[in-house]
Amino acid sequence: MKKVLVSLLLLVAVCLNVFALASCNKKGKLGEFVIPDGGFDTSKEITVKFYHTMGQNLSDVLVRYIDEFKKIYPNITIEHEQVGGYDDVRDQIKTEITVGNQPNIAYCYPDHVALYNMAKATVPLDVLIESDLVVKDQDDNPVLNSKGEPEILGLTDAQVDDFIDGYYEEGRQFGDGKMYTLPLSKSTEVLYYNKTFFDKHNITPPKTWDELEAVCAQIKAIAGDGCTPLGYDSESNWFITMCEQYGSPYTSATGDHFLFDNDTNRAFVERFRSWYEKGYVTTQEISGAYTSKLFVAEKSYMSIGSSAGATHQRPEKGENGYPFEVGITTVPQLNADNPKVISQGPSLCIFNKADPQEVLASWLFVKYLTTTVEFQAEFSMASGYVPVIESVEEHEAYKAWLDKGNGGDFIAALSVDVCLDQKDAYYVSPAFNGSSTARDQVGLLMQKCLTADAGGDVKKMIKKAFEDAIAECKYQAG
Amino acid sequence: MVESKHQWKAWLYLSPAIVLLLIFTVWPIINTVYISFLEGYNTMGAAAGIQYEFGFANYVNVIDYKEFVTCLTNTMLLCVLTVPLSTILALLIAVCLNAIKPLQKLLQTIFFLPYVTNSIAIGMVFAAMFNVIELSPGVIESPGIINNLLGLFGVDPIKWVTVGSSYWANIAVMVIYIVWNALPFKILILLGGLQSVNKQYYDAAKVDGTSRARVFTRITVPLLSPMLAYVVITGFIGGFKEYSSIVGIFGDDMGPTGEPFRLNTMVGFIYRAIEGSHVGRASAAALILFGIILIVTLINLYVSKKKTHY
Amino acid sequence: MSEKNNVTMQEKDLQKVSSKQKVGKIFVMIALYAFLILMALIIIFPFYWMLISSVKTIDEYKLPVPTLFPRKILLSNYVDAFNTAKLGTLFVNTLYVGLVSTILSLVITVISAFAFARLEFKGRNALFAALLATMMIPGELFTITNYITVNAFGWMHTFTVLIVPFLVSVFYIYLLRQNFLQIPNELYLAAKVDGTSDLKYLWKVMIPLSLPTLISITILKMMGAWNSYVWPRLVANDEAHRLITNGLRNAFTDSTGEVNIPVQMAAVAIVSFPLFMVFIFLRKYIMKGVSRSGIKG
Repeated sequence: MKKVLVSLLLLVAVCLNVFALASCNKKGKLGEFVIPDGGFDTSKEITVKFYHTMGQNLSDVLVRYIDEFKKIYPNITIEHEQVGGYDDVRDQIKTEITVGNQPNIAYCYPDHVALYNMAKATVPLDVLIESDLVVKDQDDNPVLNSKGEPEILGLTDAQVDDFIDGYYEEGRQFGDGKMYTLPLSKSTEVLYYNKTFFDKHNITPPKTWDELEAVCAQIKAIAGDGCTPLGYDSESNWFITMCEQYGSPYTSATGDHFLFDNDTNRAFVERFRSWYEKGYVTTQEISGAYTSKLFVAEKSYMSIGSSAGATHQRPEKGENGYPFEVGITTVPQLNADNPKVISQGPSLCIFNKADPQEVLASWLFVKYLTTTVEFQAEFSMASGYVPVIESVEEHEAYKAWLDKGNGGDFIAALSVDVCLDQKDAYYVSPAFNGSSTARDQVGLLMQKCLTADAGGDVKKMIKKAFEDAIAECKYQAG
Repeated sequence: MVESKHQWKAWLYLSPAIVLLLIFTVWPIINTVYISFLEGYNTMGAAAGIQYEFGFANYVNVIDYKEFVTCLTNTMLLCVLTVPLSTILALLIAVCLNAIKPLQKLLQTIFFLPYVTNSIAIGMVFAAMFNVIELSPGVIESPGIINNLLGLFGVDPIKWVTVGSSYWANIAVMVIYIVWNALPFKILILLGGLQSVNKQYYDAAKVDGTSRARVFTRITVPLLSPMLAYVVITGFIGGFKEYSSIVGIFGDDMGPTGEPFRLNTMVGFIYRAIEGSHVGRASAAALILFGIILIVTLINLYVSKKKTHY
Repeated sequence: MSEKNNVTMQEKDLQKVSSKQKVGKIFVMIALYAFLILMALIIIFPFYWMLISSVKTIDEYKLPVPTLFPRKILLSNYVDAFNTAKLGTLFVNTLYVGLVSTILSLVITVISAFAFARLEFKGRNALFAALLATMMIPGELFTITNYITVNAFGWMHTFTVLIVPFLVSVFYIYLLRQNFLQIPNELYLAAKVDGTSDLKYLWKVMIPLSLPTLISITILKMMGAWNSYVWPRLVANDEAHRLITNGLRNAFTDSTGEVNIPVQMAAVAIVSFPLFMVFIFLRKYIMKGVSRSGIKG
């Protein structure tokens, strides 16, 4: 009996030791990243781990350019891994950060980076972008980039200018003025409409919300109760975009974060509720599926969704071609002369590591993917996402692809073309600890305010729903 | 002498289990208790090196949450409804299966089949079965299979899980889904138990001409009582941890559209806290839940000790 | 043998009962079958759904009103599933993890349940209650601590990390203990007097008598390996160690993140098939366990 007790005690002791060890590991904090003297060391073998969400067809494109990159930097090995969807990437990294196991580079949304930054895990890119150190190979000769010019560590002015402004600035919305991400590929929301139906009944695609309301009434009069003229996929995007178009507060990266409970916002929500009651509009959650399902089944004639999902908005091809032609245009605006459209799609962030060379290698790869015209062009054609640099539009094969854009076989090209036309209209919302909660909550708020039984007093119900949403934001974030 | 040898042996036999449990279960529990007292502990903050103070703030924070009572009542309600229902149904099916000859093998196989069905598939099927598709408010395109069936008996379509559905309709769907999910396991355990029951008891009853009902209450149930105690106790423990089945039907928002988190449970609350990296809050909630389950299990054990026949 | 005996006994019984009782019996049987078949239909429906979904086109699958019979049977989904998911490696990995963890888990469960059911030792009840209590804390909370632990052990990206942390299941120990308790203690005491060792007694008496339960545990454990998702993704999601669910979940996502569900269902059906066969095979043993379970006294 005694022996047993002793051995048990020993065991507990071992357990505790292990824990002590584990917590030691955890406490090994990294200092702020600085570029080491001498810059990037091209003689050292470095492995860079990259988490993304690309499916097979996009991974194939990526792998080809990883090989190209290896030709320039033979000492860097890129290990890429599809972790699942965006949330899976975030959740995995969140856990890995607790023991310092995070990857070097990850696909990210601004909200994710705000989360990682709570653990001070990512590297601000400003020092890297501004660095004009020339990258030298082992014989001290400058490394040449794909154009045959000497490569500097940072971005050249021409490279910075080449980025589409709205996308580039997205990396700097974290409230501290620092740059944390570079855009990889982007998308936005667009309005898909049934061009065949619109042409037949002589309807012009709406540019403003007022025009949209009129068009809905028109369609309802033609097609009757069996249709909902408009499907809006994302309730959250709808709310946030309206805030942006009205210029009314939504959230702030500093100070009091949750500002969306105000008269303007309550008013537009009330207006949309009346649309819902008239059967003008439905959303993804309310209809229980992506609104493209209704659109392709001709149960709705307009659908607002991601520009990257254009192929899902196209009906199934029959023996006589497509049942109808799809038209694509900018989402409705408050003021058509000063349009605002949401910026979506993956950016890349870089994680801090004990070895600064790993950070430099990661940076070089991020820089390669975001500034290489050929990669950006191929990635866009394979995915339907929009490239992030302007010079892609000069790329011959890409231009030819864009020119083929139509409402049928080449719908992805048409969608990208529409997005490129409105590249000055992109807005981003602030990212902070709690910004993803705010996004979720305004989406739920929208669903509730559109559908809930108001018991006769709509204003009161809406007011209460807004107050509850703010309280929930504060609880979940704090 | 014999006693102490027994002692030594028992601990030897238990040692692999104990070692593994100490490392992978007991230690995390100790850690959970510890973290639950670190005020506002957040894994991201901890990774950045923030030190947290000791106190009860996490517990206060959990109980202060305005939806805490909702989480608690949903959890209890589902538990109280589903455990007895699934146990009785499983017992009936197991006894019936044991009583028949033709088709027994086929039916047995069918009742165990859900084990080789993927859970992704099951959730999607149930959601589709109860879904009512509305084109616009009041214009129903498809009332769903369940409403079609009810329509045969003249029942008007009911909104089960969609926009505008009532709380009790939601609960009804959850009860059906949870019971469905629990049945195969319970049938498996109870049938296993029934089949290891000594046939002689039944033969004796047959000779005596005892009625079926009497055989059931006087022989089957008492002989099965250890297995029944098992399924009831683990059923309650599982029931208090209900979460994934609700997400399976209603999605991450745990309620019909427009009424998010109406069906939130204790574990749902814990999950959300973990998702937001509020592990201090999550730990406190888990320990509160633990306290509740402990009390219920003690009551269960007490009752089953009185009723269980070994 | 004993099955035959039963049949002959029933026949004799039938001859004895009066015609009135006969009618009653038939009525009861009809009710029994009606109930069982109805429940079976309810239980089997999702399984049917999985199979028909696996042969639908994605467009048909996405119809707002789902079809009960596929309009067009698309067997190419199965080919796609097999080709895109690299099922071979996933299969071998899962099988390896499933088999090793099932065997080890069974050994641990049997000896632990034996100790709890048959051996007297100080603190037995307290320890058992403590074990039960560990089941009451939501396991999700363990993930974070365990992640730190296995990282400290250096177990990341190994098969060990997929097998060892979940070898002990209090559920199974409890289940088997309940079963062992049904076996009369007199048998054990008699064996002790005969000088039979514990292990021999376990092997010769306890295990055969509780075979149905052991098989249930085996099925549950194998299914666990087949369905586990969160933990493997976290600790061993590299090509060499990836398990089937993780492989399946990521393989059929297109560039916009939409999952091709019919192909996924086909893959699920493919991986379920061997389990199904194992199950059919094991079911025979459940029956065998039954015929052996009569305690000759």
